[in-house]
Amino acid sequence: MQDDYANIWGIRLQWAYLLAVVFVLMVPVFYNLYISFNEFGFGAARYEFTLDWYGVIFTDRLLTGAMGWTLALALVTVVFVVPMGLLTAKLFKQAGRRLKLTVVAVMLLPLFVPADIFASALLVFFKQLNRIFQTVAEMTGIGAFETWFELGFMTAVIGLIIYTIPYVFIVILITMGRYRAEQTEAARSCGATAWRAFWDVEFPQIRAGVFSSCAFTVILAFNEYVRTSTLKGGFDTFTSVLVSQMLNIGMSEQSYAMGGLISAVAITVIGSIIVFTLVRTDRLQRIERAKAQPVGAD
Amino acid sequence: MNETKDIAIEVVGLSKSYGPVRALRSVDIAIGRNEYFVLLGPSGGGKTTLLRMIGGFTKPTAGRILLHGVDVAHLPPDKRPTCMVFQSYALFPHMTVAGNVGYGLKLKGMSKAEIQVRLDAVLEMVGLNGYQARMPWELSGGQQQRVQLARALVLEPEILLLDEPLAALDEQLRKDMCIWLKHLQERVGITFIHVTHNQEEAMSVADRIALIADGELVECGDARQVYRTPARRFTASFMGESNLLDGTVAEVSGDGTVTVDVGIARVAVPSADATAGIQAAVSVRSEAMRLIPRDQAQGADEQALDAIYQEEIYLGLMTRQIMALPNGQTISVRSVSDDDEAPAFQAGDAVRVVWKTAAGRLHLS
Ligand SMILES: Nc1ncnc2c1ncn2[C@@H]1O[C@H](COP(=O)(O)OP(=O)(O)OP(=O)(O)O)[C@@H](O)[C@H]1O
Ligand SMILES: [Mg+2]
Repeated sequence: MQDDYANIWGIRLQWAYLLAVVFVLMVPVFYNLYISFNEFGFGAARYEFTLDWYGVIFTDRLLTGAMGWTLALALVTVVFVVPMGLLTAKLFKQAGRRLKLTVVAVMLLPLFVPADIFASALLVFFKQLNRIFQTVAEMTGIGAFETWFELGFMTAVIGLIIYTIPYVFIVILITMGRYRAEQTEAARSCGATAWRAFWDVEFPQIRAGVFSSCAFTVILAFNEYVRTSTLKGGFDTFTSVLVSQMLNIGMSEQSYAMGGLISAVAITVIGSIIVFTLVRTDRLQRIERAKAQPVGAD
Repeated sequence: MNETKDIAIEVVGLSKSYGPVRALRSVDIAIGRNEYFVLLGPSGGGKTTLLRMIGGFTKPTAGRILLHGVDVAHLPPDKRPTCMVFQSYALFPHMTVAGNVGYGLKLKGMSKAEIQVRLDAVLEMVGLNGYQARMPWELSGGQQQRVQLARALVLEPEILLLDEPLAALDEQLRKDMCIWLKHLQERVGITFIHVTHNQEEAMSVADRIALIADGELVECGDARQVYRTPARRFTASFMGESNLLDGTVAEVSGDGTVTVDVGIARVAVPSADATAGIQAAVSVRSEAMRLIPRDQAQGADEQALDAIYQEEIYLGLMTRQIMALPNGQTISVRSVSDDDEAPAFQAGDAVRVVWKTAAGRLHLS
């Protein structure tokens, strides 16, 4: 009888299927790249290869400004949301059954609220809050917090935090699932404080989850349109520029180039992380095996 | 044992409840310095709970814990003079053997060179020289447990807590490790508290054994005493293999024996104090009993019960013979196997179970 591994065509078929799926998923990206290299831009009858659009990306003030805001939003969100998600996941692990249910419900609720309802609810909330803060500021004469909840960077960040925290929580919780609490106790027993035990023993084992959730948050922040554009107030983000261009005047050639650039960077970064991880695991295993070899007595 | 009579650990009225579950009910124990103390008992009895409270991993509901006379109620695990060895899964999987064992020393701020010196010494002691660079998953179960021990011993704790340290090991390795642990404790001269539900393991390492069941301290004494002269009925049923006969005290005679009515007969047991009419149980270890044909009389210093022979089970070194008493209760008698001889009895034979009066034990609780 032939086993599954010997059936070379079965394996080839699986790979072919996988590659086909990836290809279909990537078609829009490739199409974007294709257009970004055309001298005449999108929808033109002629196609002439050029790199010029990439050259002028950074002369487009609107685009670079939006890019900067988007990056800033993403980074600030990561800085707040990842520690928050980590803390919640830790709390969840230690909680009793009833508290666990509550935590999960509260954390995952934002996932089930449609984006536009979510955004408008927050918008109304912030407007109210803003009014209260302004009134209080007027009455007390202390202006320091008068503009805290005016629509702007901070409200956009809060929107993004609420939006991304369920993902961060879940990703970190899953990596924590394999962690055995006895290890923390053993570390405590060796004289480690709670913080040292976490940092020396638990964190290295959930690092992958923490880093993945950082990457995930950045991607989500780049993607997000409805919440961000509702809450952002005056400035433009990359997505909002693209969308408004599309709706009004059609995307500029620079935007295609910027889109192409971002896709290329993202693919390169994630691709090299995967390759690096594979190579590193392989190398570490080889080193460990080599170290373990010369031991005589067993 | 504790020649110095110093008390290393004193537990007073210690209780723990998990909601409605009372895991431990007002336990008092005093453990001497340099003593090898074993907490033995059936699963769910509360042994781990007690050990974890001593180590500072579980907060008591009531009661006090004194380590070398100091109340440690408010101290976290890392501030107590204890170190714990866990049943399993407790090695740091991302560190080598050296990383694991040296972790506590690193926390103390010791220099690399000094850590290395101690590391070599302790790995030598647990027989793991040359394993420093290995990862935990490259070790066998027994080796992993020895790494855990090394990690604890290298810190020179005053009290070592071991929660079922040998439970994950196979029978042979467990026996070897028992002897090894006992010798180790004698060598390092610190207090060991060892939790197990395995009676043989307990007997082979312990200076003293505390029997814990149902959240209560049933009995505490040196290993031989708990095995040979159990005071409580539960101890007799848990330690070794004993036959138990329940009844009431019928008569207290002046010669230091008590007669107990066990329903099917009256048997005499040695006892100093008992009152006629109270509930009691008699226990006799199965290896202290023997079988004779029904028509043969027992000796003057022996007790006897009529029984019907049922079957024989060959256990290697020992053979167990099973009898039924007239009230349906089974009695088992163990003796060293005699391979040449054909079985003396057939199923259904009328026999008598006989034991020396002095081998019986009376239990009033
Ligand atoms: N975290 C907990 N929450 C609720 N009940 C618990 C908890 N830990 C232990 N218990 C209960 O307390 C009792 C004693 O448990 P413990 O773990 O101390 O037993 P043990 O003697 O160590 O048993 P074993 O030999 O099986 O390890 C058990 O009935 C157990 O169900
Ligand atoms: Mg236990």
